[in-house]
This record gives sequence, C-alpha cells and structure tokens, in this order.
Amino acid sequence: MSNTSKKKEKYSPADYVKLISSDGFEFIILRNAAIISGTIRNMLSSGQFIESKLNQIHFRDINAVLLEKVCQYLYYKHRYTNSTTEIPPHNIDPALALELVVVADFLDC
Amino acid sequence: MNSRRTNQKSRIKPPKKSNAADSQFNDNWERLAQAIREIHKKNASILSFEELYRNAYNMVLHKNGDKLYEGVKRVITQHLEEVAVAQIVPNFPLSGASSSSQTNPVNGVGGANFLKVLKNVWEDHITCMLMIRDILMYMDRVYAKSANVPPVYDLGLELFRDTIVRSQKYPIQIHLLDVLLQQILLERENEIIDRSSVKASMDMLLELVDASTRETVYSIDFEGRFLETSAEYYRVEGQMLVGECDAPEYMKKVEKRLIEEEQRVRHYLSQSTEQKIRSIVEEELISKHLKTVIDMENSGLIPMLRNEKMDDLARMYKLFGRVSQGHEEMKSAISNYIRELGKAINETVSSGSNNNISTTSTDGGGGDKSQTGTSVAIRWVQEVLDLKDKFDKVQSLALSNDKSFQTAFNEAFEYFINKNPKSPEFISLFIDDNLKKGLKGKTEEEVDSVLDKTITLFRFISEKDVFERYYKQHLAKRLLLGRSVSDDAERGMIGKLKIECGYQFTSKLEGMFNDMRISTDTMSDFKEYLDKSVLERPKLDLNVTVLTSTFWPMNMPASPRCNFPAEITRACEAFQRFYLGRHSGRRLTWQSNMGTADIRANFNSKKHEINVSTYQMVILLMFNDVPPGKDLSYETIKGESDIPEVDLKRNLQSLACAKYKILLKEPKGREINAGDKFYFNEDFTAPYQRIKIQTVASKVETEGERKDTREKVEEARKHQTEAAIVRIMKDRKTMEHNLLISETTRQLQPRFTPNPAMIKKRIEALIEREYLERAPGDRRVYNYLA
Repeated sequence: MSNTSKKKEKYSPADYVKLISSDGFEFIILRNAAIISGTIRNMLSSGQFIESKLNQIHFRDINAVLLEKVCQYLYYKHRYTNSTTEIPPHNIDPALALELVVVADFLDC
Repeated sequence: MNSRRTNQKSRIKPPKKSNAADSQFNDNWERLAQAIREIHKKNASILSFEELYRNAYNMVLHKNGDKLYEGVKRVITQHLEEVAVAQIVPNFPLSGASSSSQTNPVNGVGGANFLKVLKNVWEDHITCMLMIRDILMYMDRVYAKSANVPPVYDLGLELFRDTIVRSQKYPIQIHLLDVLLQQILLERENEIIDRSSVKASMDMLLELVDASTRETVYSIDFEGRFLETSAEYYRVEGQMLVGECDAPEYMKKVEKRLIEEEQRVRHYLSQSTEQKIRSIVEEELISKHLKTVIDMENSGLIPMLRNEKMDDLARMYKLFGRVSQGHEEMKSAISNYIRELGKAINETVSSGSNNNISTTSTDGGGGDKSQTGTSVAIRWVQEVLDLKDKFDKVQSLALSNDKSFQTAFNEAFEYFINKNPKSPEFISLFIDDNLKKGLKGKTEEEVDSVLDKTITLFRFISEKDVFERYYKQHLAKRLLLGRSVSDDAERGMIGKLKIECGYQFTSKLEGMFNDMRISTDTMSDFKEYLDKSVLERPKLDLNVTVLTSTFWPMNMPASPRCNFPAEITRACEAFQRFYLGRHSGRRLTWQSNMGTADIRANFNSKKHEINVSTYQMVILLMFNDVPPGKDLSYETIKGESDIPEVDLKRNLQSLACAKYKILLKEPKGREINAGDKFYFNEDFTAPYQRIKIQTVASKVETEGERKDTREKVEEARKHQTEAAIVRIMKDRKTMEHNLLISETTRQLQPRFTPNPAMIKKRIEALIEREYLERAPGDRRVYNYLA
C-alpha cells in the first residue's frame, strides 16, 4: 500500500510542463493539472508544434501574477475534481477578477 | 483602495486595443496563413501554437472572425487544388474512365495506385485539419457557433468533398468510383486486391457528408452504383451458372458468393450496405432461379431426395430460406413428389390386387388367395412406411426439423393414403400380420417400433371408424383362432390406439380381451363341473369362448347355423346347461363359423392330427359313416350339414383342392359345383404328424365384402352422427344450422370426415323423431326438445 502511494507521489520530469509568463516567470506544474485547460491540452498534444517538442509554453499575453493564479486554480481543480472530501472555497482577488475572466476564456478552463 | 481602482481601470483597457487591431489584422493573418501553409508542408514543429492561437484569438476577439474564417477557407481550398493537380490527376488510372467492366491488369494496378495516392492525400488532409482545428479552437468556440457556420474541421471535410472527391475541375469522382467498383469486380473474379486502400477510400467517403441531404457521400455517390453493378454482375452470373452447373454445385457457388459479399462488407464497406447487397445476391442468385434449380433434371430437388443427398438438401434449405418464396417452393415440390411416390405405391397395389382377383377366379385356391391379398396389403404399408422413414430422415438431417415442412409432408402423406380407399384395411392387416408372426424372427423391440410407425400412418387416416371395424375383425380372428403371438403386444397396440383416439375408441377392443380372459376361467370351472358330474361327461374336449355380442364384430342373430354331429351337440348342451345355470337371463348363440377342431384321422400310411375349422370337422365326420371307396355328393353334404352355401364351398375347396387333399373330388377341378362327388383320400400323405388346413384367415376383402363393410360403417356413422347432434343440442338447447353442422363435423373429425349433406339428413331424422324442432320464428334455427 505504501508502495503504491509512494509511486503516486513520485513524478518524473516528463510529468511536468513549464509555463512561462509574458514577463519571463516560469511555472513548472503537473502536466495533468495543466491540461485541464483545453487550450494548453491542445498545445501539448496537437501535432508537432514547438510547444509539445519543448514541453513548455510561452504565454506572451499573460503576466506572472495572472499565470500564478491560473496555476493555483488548475491545481485546485485537479485536486478537487471528483473528490469526495469537502471542497474549500477558492478565493480570487477582485482586482484580478476581470483579467482572469479574459484569461480563462483564452485558456478554455 | 486607490491602487485597486487604477487596476480596475486598466482592466477595461484591453478592449480598447481593438481599435488598433484592425490595421494589425492583415499582418496577423498573413502570418497565420503562412503557418497553415507550413502545416500543410508538415513543418508544424517550427511553429508556436501559442502564437497562432493567440493570433486567431485576437482576430476573433476583434470581430474579425468572418475574415479569418473566409481566409482559412481560401487557404485550404487553394492547397487542396494544388494537391489535386500535383498528386491526384497524374495518378489517374491509365485506361479510360468508363471501361470499368473490362478487366485488364494494368488498369487494376493503376487503380490500386490511384487509391493509394488518394489515401495519402486524405490522411494528410485529416492530420492537417486536426492541427488547424486545434489552433483555431477559439474561432470554433466563439465565432463559428455564433455565425452559424460549420466548425473548421467540418469545413475542411466539406472543402475536401468539393475540391477533391466531387471536384468540378477534374474527373476525380468518376475515376474514384470506377476504380472502387473495378477493384471489387477484380476481387469477385478471385484476384487479390489491396483491401486496405479500398477501405481507406470507403472510410473517406463515409466520413464526408453531403451538403443537402446530410447523408454520407458513400451512400449517395457510391452505394447506389455499387448495388447497381452488383445486381448486373450477379444477374449475368446467375444466368451463366444456371446454364453451366448442376444444382448442388450452383448452390455451393451461391453460398460462397454470399459469404464473400458478407466478408467484403465486413472488410471495407459500410455495415449499412450488408443487408442491401445480401438481398441483391439473394434476389439475383436465389429468387430468380428458385424453380430452375429445384426442377433441375438429374440434380434438382427431386434427384437429391431420391439419392438422399442430405448435405445438398440442407444447403438448399438454408439458402432458399433466405428468400420469401424459397421454402414454399421447396415444400410444394417435395410434397408433390411425396404424392407422386404415394400414387405410385397405390397404383402398384391396386394393379397387384387386380391381378390377384383375376387369378383367384381362375385357379380358385383359397389359401393362395389370402396369402397374396395380405401380402399386397403388407407391401403397401411397408412401402408407405419406408417412404415415411425416408422423409423423416430428410426432415431431421436436412431440414433442421422444420415444423412447417413436417406439416406439408404430413399433408402429402394424408392425401395419398386417403386416396387409397383400402388404406384402413391395409394398415389393420399389416398390424395383424405383425402381431401374428411378430415374434418369429423379430425381437419385441423391433415389433414395437414397427407398430409405433404404423400408428403414425394410422394418424393420417381420415376414416378411423373404418379402421376400427377392420381392426376389430382382425383382432377377433387373432383371438379366437389363437393366432396372436403375444398378449402384451396386443395390449400394447391397443394402448397406442387409446393414446391416439381415446377411451371410446378402444373400449370395445378391451372388452374383447376381457371376454377372452373370462372364458378361460369359465372353461376351467366347466372342467371341474364335468369332473363332478361323471354321467354327463362327453367324449370330446369342448372349449368354449363366450363373447359379449356388442363387443365383437360378428353379426350374432344372423350367424349361420349348422347341424353338428350328435356327440358335439351333447357337449354343447352340457356347456349350455352349465353356463346358463351360472348366469341366468343370458342367451348363448353358437358361432359355428368361428371355431376350430383338432381331429385324428387314420390314413393308409399313418395317422395324422389335423387342425380344421368347425365346418370342415362337420364335413369330415360325415365320412366316418361312409364305407371306403364310396362317395358323398355335394348335395348330400349340404343337406345333412346345413352349412351355408358360400362357407360350404370354401371349406370343401380347402379340403379337396388346396395343399393338403384330405378329400378327392370328382370331377377334378378347382371349383366346387353342384353335383360334385367327394371321396375320402385314404392314400393321403404328409411330411408332418400335425397338419393344419388353411382356413379363411384374415385377408383383403372381396368386392362384395367390402360393400358390406361399407354399409355397416355407414350405418354406424349414422348413429354416431345422431349421437353427436343430440349431445351438442342437449348442451346448447338452440343452435343455428351452420353452427350445428360445423360443431358436429368438429366432434366427428377424429373418427371420420362427415359430409354436410349426411349431417343434414340426420338432423331431419331427429326432427321426425321429435328430438329437435325448427324454431317457430326462424327456420334456420333448431331447438332441443327435452
């Protein structure tokens, strides 16, 4: 039992993907969380585009603040989708809300 | 607070960018178009998805979705046209488009190559379209939906359909369809084709959807033509095969074709085509040639039956079952065949019995006559049974025990069995023969199985009452003459009849058995009785069987009498006293025509024990009083014995003209005539100590007897019909004429098929006797009078 759970914890580098913000910040997140975004999933899986080759995506229109929030949300969603435990609220700073809506539309998530 | 406000303000900024974006559009579009071209060149790896997506996103966001959409459409169309010119057109198969029916191998190879090229083009297009769809996802999501245009992938399919498959500029469509049909044709001609490229093309056609009908291009462009050419192909093949092959071979080929087509559909056509192509093959190869194949001389259905070709029959059953009329045709052909065979059997029998009658009239040998007469009956039943066996075998081995075939067969059997008016008699004779000789050489099981089969024939008889009458006669003779081999077998047979027809049918038969049993007991009592009263003891052993007159087929009051010798009369009287003393109020009538006697005769060479009929005994005993060498004339015998003339002649015949000549006749000859003289044959010799004079054994009836039986049966039917009518009316009280007729018919059906006129007569008779009356208001309605 400990074995399987350990295996689950252990991820190889291939399980991760690098997201780069417009201002150069890099976020390395679980691939499975990342592809909750339909756009990211397509970027990584469709054909032989440069993103899937390098396993990283450079978002030229999303700054680090927003991208961080996006990553948080992706993990949050990854963690609680199909979860039986109680789901805690996901807080968003109202100041970011509008921009996040736009980004969410862009990312399809 | 402050900072938040500025933040919020800056959030509203992005839409403002759009004003500037218009000028950027051309720039962005140019990059996107270039990217799509790169994708078509398979250079996606140098492109940034994020950039392309962002570009498309911005364009849609800035209300340039329509321009983008049109642009993409243009680029893809352009690409496809280039592909058509560069790759597809050069690879058109060499020979002309319309000569598809000609099979030339170059054409086949060219066609296969063409399909391969097309397959590659299609696969590339799909790959590219998937990538284009992904980078234009935002356009699909936001623009295509609101503008009510197909998403870009579907657009790609439509463009492919219109620029390649149904191209207006190049005859791609004609080539494609011809090549496909030609490949199928080649495969039908047993050539090996590249199924995978054919399948790829089919998949492509299935993927593409017609703009107006929303059906697949496959079903619109391809399927119809495919079915048409297939129908034509199989029409020709059907005609050719029918001419060339015999029936089994033809069916094998058809079977093979059906399997092939089914596999073809499975391998590279649409599943929806399966049923259609199947029905075409069935129509062209089976329906159209049903009769031809069934009627094929030397190999059709009848020869198959004749030679018991079970595999071929099974194949025919399976194949013909696919089409609506197939089994019907088979059924009627087979049942006609059965009728024919049945007719043949009937004819051999009737010609045989005719011969028989004519020979008897010349040679007059009583024993011979009964032998051949019976053997005709037995042969008839045996042949019918063999026929039945044969078709039972066909039924179980080739027709998977199909009930409807069974019914058709049964009808055919019923038809010809009832065509032979003697069938009830024959069947009864056959049973008689088996129960008489049964255990000689046959095991009990064998006899049982033969009788079981006979019961199936019995089922086919519509005049069961006639059968009953004959059976009763034959059973009576078996019982009285002690010919029945096994009591168990007899009872078994009656049990079987009981199962078939119910208690009513067999109660009299069982009564006959009871009489036999009681008689045995009575006889042992009689012997005891004689032992006690020494005075009365007669000089011979008398064995009496007391029959209940209603159970037995003899006509009691009219039964012939004859003068017994005094000694026998005394013995009879002794029994009569004994019997009536025990059962008062009964009347005994002596059936002198049914008995047998064992007599011992002294001849010159040696003594013989002779088993003779009662009449023969009476005749022979007369010679005791005649000095050797003296004769008795026919008239004397007749006068003294008082035996009825017909019986007397027959018995004299068996004594003087048959195998054992106990008496000599003057003048010699086969016929007994008035004025003939008879001598006791003292030089008589025989190889055995005990001999049996053949007497009137059960045999086929003569015409006169038959008429007699008929009359009796008709008489019995009258009573049964009246009984049935009264039963029904007692139950219903009033009933309409037609209903009464049909109900009566239904009730009598298990025994015989009454005709309505006869029923009507019975109704009238019942009205006369005031069992029924016509309803006062309505002449068509009868009332029951209690």
